[in-house]
Amino acid sequence: MLVLLLLIPLSASIAIGFCRSRRIMEWVHGGAAGFSLLAGAVIAFGFAGAGPVTPLGSLDADALSAFMIAIIALVAAVAGIYAVGYVRVQLDGSQVQRAQQFYILFQLFVFTTLLAVSVDNLGVMCIAIEGAVLASVFLLNLNDSQAAIRAAFKYLLVTSVGIVLAFLGTALLYYAVAVRAGDVGLSWTTLMSVAGQLDPGLVRAAFGFILIGYGTLAGLAPMHPWLPDVYSEAPPPVSALLSGILSNVGIYALIRFKAVADAVDGGVFSSTWLLRFGLLSLAVAALYLVSQRSHRRILAFSCIEHTGIIALGLGFGGYWGIAGALFHMMNHAVTKSMLFIVSGSLVLKYRTDRIDEVRGLLRAAPLTACAFLCGMLALMGLPPFGLFVSGFAVFSAGFASHPAYAAAGIAFAAVAFAGMFTGINRMLHGPLPEGHDRSDPLKLASLPIVVNAVLIFAFGLFLPGGLRALFDEVLRGLGVPL
Amino acid sequence: MESLSFTRAANLLAFLFLIAAFLYVVRAGVAAQLRLFTAQSAVLSILAAVVAVFGGSVELVGVALVFAIIRVVVIPMALRRLLPPLDLQPELAVRTGRTASIVAAAVLVFLGFYIATPLASSAPLPTSDGIAPSFASVLLALFLLLSRRGAAGQIFGFLALENAVFMVALLAAYRVPLIVEMGVFLDLLAAALILAMTLYRIQDGGEHGTPAGGPENTAGRLDAAKS
Repeated sequence: MLVLLLLIPLSASIAIGFCRSRRIMEWVHGGAAGFSLLAGAVIAFGFAGAGPVTPLGSLDADALSAFMIAIIALVAAVAGIYAVGYVRVQLDGSQVQRAQQFYILFQLFVFTTLLAVSVDNLGVMCIAIEGAVLASVFLLNLNDSQAAIRAAFKYLLVTSVGIVLAFLGTALLYYAVAVRAGDVGLSWTTLMSVAGQLDPGLVRAAFGFILIGYGTLAGLAPMHPWLPDVYSEAPPPVSALLSGILSNVGIYALIRFKAVADAVDGGVFSSTWLLRFGLLSLAVAALYLVSQRSHRRILAFSCIEHTGIIALGLGFGGYWGIAGALFHMMNHAVTKSMLFIVSGSLVLKYRTDRIDEVRGLLRAAPLTACAFLCGMLALMGLPPFGLFVSGFAVFSAGFASHPAYAAAGIAFAAVAFAGMFTGINRMLHGPLPEGHDRSDPLKLASLPIVVNAVLIFAFGLFLPGGLRALFDEVLRGLGVPL
Repeated sequence: MESLSFTRAANLLAFLFLIAAFLYVVRAGVAAQLRLFTAQSAVLSILAAVVAVFGGSVELVGVALVFAIIRVVVIPMALRRLLPPLDLQPELAVRTGRTASIVAAAVLVFLGFYIATPLASSAPLPTSDGIAPSFASVLLALFLLLSRRGAAGQIFGFLALENAVFMVALLAAYRVPLIVEMGVFLDLLAAALILAMTLYRIQDGGEHGTPAGGPENTAGRLDAAKS
C-alpha cells in the first residue's frame, strides 16, 4: 500500500510530462490527488485498526508516518483540486507548457514529502526534503512577478541554509553513533535502540543544528524571515502546500530527532530549546499580526504563531503536550490550507490582498465569506473549532509542567487574537466596491472548502476514536509514557 | 603509524581550510572570493581523497572526484560567467565594518574551538582533531551569510557554508554509508541557487538587493565615473 501511495504522485508527474492536451493533464493531476488521498486514508485507517503496514526495504511506516501521510494526502488533494481551477484562471490557452510544468512539480513535491515521512532512514529523509524544497521553489513564480521571484530566491537561500545545517546535525549524530556503537545503519529504529550509549554532549550539539535546520522549514522564529514573503507571494495552492505540508514535515523531523535526544539525556535540553523557540515564534507573530494590512500576510504570520504553539506542545511533553501538538498539526494543516485557498479566491475577486480594500464580502460571496470567517475564528483559537481543542490540550499540559511558558504563550496568543479580529471584521461588512458581481469566485474551490470546513468543525466537537488510537501508537513509538 | 600520518594529513587540511574560511571574511572583493572558494574546494577534495585512501573506501574516491569536478571547476566557471567581468567588480556589500568583521571572526574561531574540542575528544577517531577547525569554519560561514547583503555575497556565504559542513561531515562521519551521497546531493541546492540568482538578476533591473554589482549596476557606476 505504501509503495502504491508513493507511486501515484510519481507516475502522475511522469504521465503529465507526456501529455499534450491540457484537459488530460488536469484529469491526471486531479485523479492522482484523489487516489493519493484514498491510499493515504487506507494507510491511516488501517493503522488505527491493526498493526504496522508492510515494511519494504527501508520504507517503513510506523504510526507517526501514517499520521503524516494522512495530513499530506489530505492537503495535497485539497490544494491539488483547487490548483486546477486556479491555474485555468492564471494561465490562458497559450501557456500550456507552464501549466504542465506546474502540475509536474506539484506531483513531485507530493512524492518527495511522502517519501520523507515514510522512509526509515535519516539520510534519505534529508535528501527527500531537499527535493521537496527544490520542487516547490519553481512552483512559487507562476506569473513571473518581481515580488514572487524575489521571494523565491529568499526561500531557496534560507531553506537551503536550513537543510545544510540539518545535514550537519545529522552528520554529528552519525559521528556519535559511529564511535560508540560501531557502524550501525541510519534508521530511526536502530538509532533509538543504541541511543542509551551515545555521548550526551555530541547529541545535544547535533540536536541544536537539527532544531535550527528543520525549524527553518517549519517556520519557527528566529529563522522565520523568509516565510511571510513567500507565503503571501506564492500562488495560493502552493501556499497551502507549503504551510500544510512542508512546515509539518519540518516538525515531523524535529519530533523524530527529539525522541532520539530524549532517549539520550531525558529530554531537558531539547524541551528547553523547543520552548524558547516556540515562545519566541508566538511573540514575533503577535507583534506583526497587530499591524498587518494584507490578509495573506495575516495568514503567514499566523502560521508562525501556530508552529510556535506546536513547538511549545512538544516542549511541554507528557501525553497531552505531544498528542496536543500532533492534533494541532493536523488542525492547522486543514484550517490553513482552506484559508489560503479562500484568500486566493479573494485576491481573484478583488484583485488585491489589502484588508482595507476588501469590503462587503458577506453579501458578495456568501460561501467564501462563511469559510473565511470560520477559518479565521478557528485560527484565533475560538471554540467550537479543532484548533481550540488542540491548543487547549497543549496549554493545559503546559500549566502542569512549565506554567511560566504556558502563561506567556497564552498572553501572546491573546495579542494575536486582537490583531487578527479587528481586520477581519471590516472585510465582511460594508458596501461592495463598484464593478463586482455577486458570486463566489471559483467553482472548483467550493469542494475543498466544504470538506475542510466540515473537518474543522468535526475536530472541534469530538476527537475520532481512530485518531486517538493513532496518537497512542505514535506516543508509544516515541517512548512517551502513556 | 599509518593512522598517525592520516591524523596529520587531516589536521593540516582542516587548518588550511580554516585559514581560507577566515580570509573569506577579510577579503570582500568578488574575484578574491572566487579564488578562495576554488582553493577551499580543492582542499576539501584532497581531504576526501586522503580519507578514501586511509579509510580504504572506493566510494569516497568517487566523491573526491565529484567534489573536484563540481566545486573546483564547474561552479567557479559558472560564477565567473554569470558575475560581471572580474576587473570591473566592486567589493561585496557588507553590513559590518571590516575591523568589526575581523574581530567577530576571531571571536567565532575561538568559540568554535571552545565548543567543538570537548565534543571531538569525547569520541576519538583518527580525524577527530580536524573537527574543531572545520566547526569554526562553519561558524565563520554563517557569519558571512548574515553579514552580507545582496545575492552575490550571500551565494558566496552559502557556498562557504556548504564546504564547511562537508568538511565536518567527512571528518566526523566518513565511515557511515550514504553520508557522502547526501553531500553530493546538496550540490543540487548550490546549482539551483546559482540558477535562481541568474533569474533574480535578470528580472531585477539592478534596482534591488544586488549592490554586489549586477551588470546594470556596474555599467551605471562606470557611466557615472566617465561623466
